[in-house]
Amino acid sequence: MASQPSDEQRRRFEAEALPHLDALYRYASHLSGDAALAEDLTQETLWKAYRAWDQFRPGSNVRAWLLTILRNTFINQYRRRQHQGETVDIAEIEPYAVFREVQDVDPEARFFDNLVDHEVTQAIDALPPEFREVLLLSDAEDLSYAEIGEVLGVPVGTVKSRLFRARRALQERLYRYAVDAGYIKRRTP
Amino acid sequence: MNPELHSVECREALERLYDYLDRELTPELEEAVGRHLRECSACFRCFEFERAYLRFLEARVKAQGAPPEVKRRILHQLFEAEEP
Repeated sequence: MASQPSDEQRRRFEAEALPHLDALYRYASHLSGDAALAEDLTQETLWKAYRAWDQFRPGSNVRAWLLTILRNTFINQYRRRQHQGETVDIAEIEPYAVFREVQDVDPEARFFDNLVDHEVTQAIDALPPEFREVLLLSDAEDLSYAEIGEVLGVPVGTVKSRLFRARRALQERLYRYAVDAGYIKRRTP
Repeated sequence: MNPELHSVECREALERLYDYLDRELTPELEEAVGRHLRECSACFRCFEFERAYLRFLEARVKAQGAPPEVKRRILHQLFEAEEP
């Protein structure tokens, strides 16, 4: 274990790591599906990162580094509590199906804006975990494909195929919510 | 119109849809896809639809964060061991 961080280390940690607290909490919430657990995970991640701050390579992506610590902590300690979602069948997604449905009535995809936040959260959490993670690391946390591959320990090709399928599955589900709620009319065949 | 049935070029562009929108292509490929989009309105519309979807998704997920009281607790616990 590293020694007590110096004042300078604390100052740098506060300036560079703490701005990512929201990202860590967000990722932890979607991983665990539990607010108390998300708080514990965020807390523990920051504590570990603070103690190991001298091992962080300046110039590399601090957010990716923190998210990796969080994910490893989760896997080591809480894996059995992983939030499973209801696992949509992600192999069944037909590409561009939603665009084809709406291209004449809403080509600018305005119907998405009518969805309420909990519908979006629910739809994300229904994705199988390995797809949910890739989607969050890309669309919520702005990591590159290579950085996501490093966080998850998978090749870039896997990141790309998971991200494609995750975005499609989510889009399909959000579209169904929107149709059910009457935000958009299903095209008559 | 089904963009991917339009031509081989459309299929190639659509295969790179997310790589393009995520800015993950090499400059040469990015330019090639961009050129196709300027020439093909079917693909352009499909790409714009997907771009709008990703923007929506990003805005919604980024809006979520730790509630203020959670932040306070986390920061307090993080540094309290250090206080004299």
